[in-house]
Amino acid sequence: MTANKNMRILIVDDFSTMRRIIKNLLNDLGYTNTSEADDGSTAIQALAQGNFDFVVTDWNMPGMTGIDLLKAIRADDRFKSLPVLMVTAEAKREQIIEAAQNGVNGYIIKPFTAQTLEEKLGKIFERLGAAA
Amino acid sequence: MAAVIDVASARAALVEKLQHALDALEQGDEAGWRRELDAIAAWRTQPMMQGLGRLARELAQTLGELPPTHDGHDLNDACARLDHVVEMTEQASHKTLDLAEQCRGLADQLKAGSLSAEQAQLVDGIRSGLSEMALAQSYQDLTGQIIRRVAGIVRRVHEGFGALGLPPPEKKDNGLAGPAVSGLDKNAYSQDDADDLLSGLGL
Repeated sequence: MTANKNMRILIVDDFSTMRRIIKNLLNDLGYTNTSEADDGSTAIQALAQGNFDFVVTDWNMPGMTGIDLLKAIRADDRFKSLPVLMVTAEAKREQIIEAAQNGVNGYIIKPFTAQTLEEKLGKIFERLGAAA
Repeated sequence: MAAVIDVASARAALVEKLQHALDALEQGDEAGWRRELDAIAAWRTQPMMQGLGRLARELAQTLGELPPTHDGHDLNDACARLDHVVEMTEQASHKTLDLAEQCRGLADQLKAGSLSAEQAQLVDGIRSGLSEMALAQSYQDLTGQIIRRVAGIVRRVHEGFGALGLPPPEKKDNGLAGPAVSGLDKNAYSQDDADDLLSGLGL
């Protein structure tokens, strides 16, 4: 997969400020085709409706958490190859491992910089391109 | 000496209660011996309950040194105020993001005009500063998560004390109110209310 700037990105976070910040950062990087969801359940609904190419999700959200969203995505034939980047304040080693074991494509710890987001996205696309 | 007398009298009281319990038991008076044993148990746990009661009051004072509200639940009130802090910072962050976006738009317009190399560099600097400012608003998410967690702990401790049947904490209703919390401080004045009041007073 090459970094197609028109790719459809779903941003999942319970804090509207953080959704907006991530959206702005993605816009700055040229990714303008974004949508938002405020927890795992609404994200699943959005995924079922639209053709998303990429998911950026928080972990700790009321309702369905980001890790459960990741598991649901990997368990569903329709979405299982969808790249998922986790952007979360959860910074414990075990949690990072848990995310990795469940097939996360990238993991960013809040607070983060624009440069970190750009780097992680680049790395994900590079790896997906190599695998394709 | 006083301590020795206390210990001796406490022992005598215990012997007396145990004797009563034994008498009641021998006479087949079930209610009687249960009552005596309950009295002994209550006497033993009283210091602990007093300690817990003091803890509950101290917690309420630490977290609830706030003016009383209509429902009179100090700790719930403190938590509601913490929730309100999250909402206030959310609104402030959105406003900052609005303004940062607007200013970036203005910077883009400036750059579209004919600028000297030096001026263009300055505009780039402003634009990148505005981006950093927007990113710094992520504090709202992080502090909000911490505040929600603390409020959760306080609510659980409060429920724990309630389950022990501890008396409600003493009210402290002196001091200043601090920022008004919508929905909680029903008698809070808006600026218009204050202006009306002041003009009514001839100011």
